Amino acid sequence: MSRRKFWTPLYATLRRNLPSKHPYFPASSVFKFPSPTYSFSPPSPSSSPSSPFPSSYDFYSLQNLKFPVRSFCFSTGSEEQSSARCWSCGAVAIAAPFLVCETCRSVQPVDHSVDYFHIFGLEKKYDIEVQNLEGKYKDWQKKLHPDLVHSKSERERGYAAEQSARVIDAYHTLSKPLLRAIYILRLEGVDVDEEETLTDPELLSEILEIREAVEEAADPLALNEIKSQMNEELNHWSNSFATAFRCRKFEEAVNSIRRMTYYERVTEEIVKKL
Amino acid sequence: MAEPAYTVASDGETTGEEKSSSAFPEIAIGIDIGTSQCSVAAWNGSQVELLKNTRNQKMMRSYVTFKDDAPSGGVSNQHTHELEMLSGASIFNMKRLIGRVDTDPVVHASKSLPFLVQTLDIGVRPFIAALVNNVWRSTTPEEVLAIFLVELRAMAEIALKRPIRNVVLTIPVSFSRFQVTRIERACAMAGLHVLRLMPEPTAVALLYAQQQQQTIHENMGSGYEKIALIFNMGAGYSDVAVSATAGGVSQIKALAGSAIGGEDMLQNMMRHLLPDSEIIFSNHGINEIKSMGLLRVATQDAIHKLSFETSVQIDVDLGNGLKICKVVNQEEFQEVNREVFEKCESLIIQCLRDAKIEPDDVTDIIAVGGCSFIPKIKNLIMTTCKRQELYKGINPMEAAVCGAALEGAVASGINDPFGSLDLLTIQVTPLAIGIQADGNNFVPIIPRNTTMPARRELAFTTVHDNQTEALIVVYEGEGKKVEENHLLGYFKLVGIPPAPKGVPDINVCMDIDASDVLRVLAGVVVPGSQQPAIPVMEVRMPTVDDGHGWCAEALHRTFGSRLNLVTVQKKMQQ
Repeated sequence: MSRRKFWTPLYATLRRNLPSKHPYFPASSVFKFPSPTYSFSPPSPSSSPSSPFPSSYDFYSLQNLKFPVRSFCFSTGSEEQSSARCWSCGAVAIAAPFLVCETCRSVQPVDHSVDYFHIFGLEKKYDIEVQNLEGKYKDWQKKLHPDLVHSKSERERGYAAEQSARVIDAYHTLSKPLLRAIYILRLEGVDVDEEETLTDPELLSEILEIREAVEEAADPLALNEIKSQMNEELNHWSNSFATAFRCRKFEEAVNSIRRMTYYERVTEEIVKKL
Repeated sequence: MAEPAYTVASDGETTGEEKSSSAFPEIAIGIDIGTSQCSVAAWNGSQVELLKNTRNQKMMRSYVTFKDDAPSGGVSNQHTHELEMLSGASIFNMKRLIGRVDTDPVVHASKSLPFLVQTLDIGVRPFIAALVNNVWRSTTPEEVLAIFLVELRAMAEIALKRPIRNVVLTIPVSFSRFQVTRIERACAMAGLHVLRLMPEPTAVALLYAQQQQQTIHENMGSGYEKIALIFNMGAGYSDVAVSATAGGVSQIKALAGSAIGGEDMLQNMMRHLLPDSEIIFSNHGINEIKSMGLLRVATQDAIHKLSFETSVQIDVDLGNGLKICKVVNQEEFQEVNREVFEKCESLIIQCLRDAKIEPDDVTDIIAVGGCSFIPKIKNLIMTTCKRQELYKGINPMEAAVCGAALEGAVASGINDPFGSLDLLTIQVTPLAIGIQADGNNFVPIIPRNTTMPARRELAFTTVHDNQTEALIVVYEGEGKKVEENHLLGYFKLVGIPPAPKGVPDINVCMDIDASDVLRVLAGVVVPGSQQPAIPVMEVRMPTVDDGHGWCAEALHRTFGSRLNLVTVQKKMQQ
């Protein structure tokens, strides 16, 4: 079936490694899929920027890029703009984060030291204005989206695919309270095991009760009532997460996340039934 | 299949100025192949322009007439009367037939067309044929589409005075990836390279994004986000999209679609006028075809008139002693097509819900496609969206092709000094993609309306003790059971280390990359080990060829439930 090649020859040698995660189907912590590799030259062990995250969480890896290793001017673990240079024109980065060169508009390789908050020009804190994300997200996509660099080099298309995917993920993560909470804790080096068995009997019985209520709810009205109840709970626990996080009480913070996860699931179930 | 005649040279060795294309990149043209009509548009350097054929038409009927010599399509040929198209020699409605098997209800509904559509109901490609000198000559939907595309290409080359190779095509939302490969095949047969395929309403969303962008430029105002609901209904398909537009970027929030359209209304009306029409016409004799054509034309006229009048008189002599003399009013028309309208309504509701948008938050409601002229359709859109009026700035018949041409220019890397091409569409997956598990359930791995590119994975495990093999059967669609979905392909995972059922950790990952290529990866881990037990399988989908309905049954017959999988129960969900 080489048919697909007819319209994809340009990208045929691209590879991408998206962070594989979904709030309710968390990636198995046991092993990661390698990014699909379709290169026709042997992978070169080269400029792999090391992830700043202590977890096994797999973000983008550039190590398999098929381009010959050269001494590029950009520094991988660069702290801010000071030393970063465009790989294409060599211009020094003006603004941070440096995802696109201001001089020649070339898309830059992913720099893992730039976190999601940084991408959106936000302070690293939990309570953010979600409404402002979409505009910034679109601004980035207009500079980074692979559709817009169709006629550029294979190398830049690769960068665009990765950067754009990362911005999608950043947007998705930051705009959802639960995902944002998990992410910000992870930045602090705290991993939330979403598969963890439940031990808190109080929460357990509460969950069972809610589930029963959802199952027995006869009409959309009853379902909507439970839904708004869940929303209240979500807001409540989102606030307590914010407080706990601010005070760096991470155990409490994880606890709030666990609560939020449950209420989100119930809400999802209700939406399915409605 | 042969490789394309050209390849893009690898420029991995070059640095600095890395423009791989020439100074004058070829601008891809936009093509909207409708079930009934078709149009072509291109960026002319300052705006999008619809191309005309030698008879000065912008909209051309989508059909191909087979004759003794070369076949000719609706681009070059013009029947003096609609009836000639219905003589059995012309094949039309290709878009409803392409990539479907003979068990598909849409194929069955096509059996009352004047040309021959034969089904064996075993899940293989239907047999279609055109009547040439009293002989049924067989062809395929791909071939018919390719013949038609060749004509379109020739027409565009004359109009633009340059060779055409790259195209952006619009497709229905409900098309499966298998159907998409059929469209691509038809394009390849016609020597066209598909640069991009766009779900029809997303092409309209792009045009809307451009219009909003220009309005902002003119008013020098700030660009705030606008939510648009686009409803597109043609002869063959209905599609809905909700998009959020700001600064020329159109993020698709949700898509919904179904193979329901004007053709269904036409057939419902024909059945209403002549209840046993299907039986009468099933033989496809010369006289029956003629009668069928007469009835079709009369019914079509009546439906058109009912868009402007409250009732219409139908008076037609079908020959063979069959005469229809009847007055049909709008209420009757609406009653006969109640299911169609209900389906449209549910598509809109579903799309709004998936987009998590309340009707009140929608800035503009855009109705396009031939059926958007039907009063009942307009009404139901406005009622469902709780709105008094529809967006007026878009030509319902030209919107999709104009959007496709814009995308063609953007994707070809064309810049416009006035910023008219400062545009981007961010697409989502129109259908969920998943595998068969938990019996014959469809378990989605990438849900529908996921922003592309996307990568998701899900854990499965074995159902039998010491099960060493597992069948990964990939489907696309919205049904709960696998048989309600489109089969994309299958492969076997072998060498699972023997273990009690439920122990092996089988991860299935789906990856859609920036060029919309789907890859399915499957791997096995034994608990406690960090390494995959066996090499990971990576399969590019779809792998099925024709006759895929039959494949699924054969797999079931051969393997039963021996190689089945189940989802891993989430501990927290108990």
